[in-house]
Amino acid sequence: MAEHVTCQEVVELVTGYLEHALPADEAELFEQHINFCDGCEWYLDQMRTTVAAVGRIQEEDVPPETRDKLLTAFREWKRR
Amino acid sequence: MIAYKFLRADGSSVFTGFRWPLPNGAPGAWVDAPVEPCRSGIHACAPAGMPYWIGRSLYEIELAGDIVEEGMKLVASRARLLRPVAAWNDSLRDEYTRMCADRAHEHALGASPQLPEWDAVIEPSLPEGPALLGFVAARIAEERGGVDAYRAERDLQTAWLVERLGLQDGAAS
Repeated sequence: MAEHVTCQEVVELVTGYLEHALPADEAELFEQHINFCDGCEWYLDQMRTTVAAVGRIQEEDVPPETRDKLLTAFREWKRR
Repeated sequence: MIAYKFLRADGSSVFTGFRWPLPNGAPGAWVDAPVEPCRSGIHACAPAGMPYWIGRSLYEIELAGDIVEEGMKLVASRARLLRPVAAWNDSLRDEYTRMCADRAHEHALGASPQLPEWDAVIEPSLPEGPALLGFVAARIAEERGGVDAYRAERDLQTAWLVERLGLQDGAAS
């Protein structure tokens, strides 16, 4: 197993970390990285804030036009 | 069991923001939390874990109840802060950071071929403090000598901290 994770991996793992879905060893490497990397610590804080702000929105709460815009944006993003 | 815990300068936990009852001549109040590593429980470390969790202030902590060792940390269901480790002050933090930077240079410039692109990141990283420089030194050691060199560099950092902080190497029961 790797001794550390990169900033890119932190971005990939952040959702799992916030949902307590990471295996203990991965969660520990994630936290070790957060402990020394200010940029990733801020990123984690931003994600926490975002989840706290919008995490309670249900799918049916999103207006159809907003939903369509988001889906289009994600499709465009995936094509890049 | 006696272990160690790094906190922010204001005595709050780095990952949860929990404000610890601080010792004030006498141990702080007991804190309880069910044990589940990386989810809940009171997280602390033995000296060997210190380089991985290094932070602004350091406390000796007494762990009780259920205690689980998980990787580089100890997780307990009950704990109280016994005393601040006063030796972990600005001066020693700077000294540790410099030691790690010097070791990082040694690895970068002692490698064959040398690692100038790695060497270049060391000095600009200094303002970020001891946790980052400890990682940088270990990471460059790894680049030079593989994963065993990473671990060896972390062990060296532990030994430095144990000696300079006057700790016993290993959590005590």
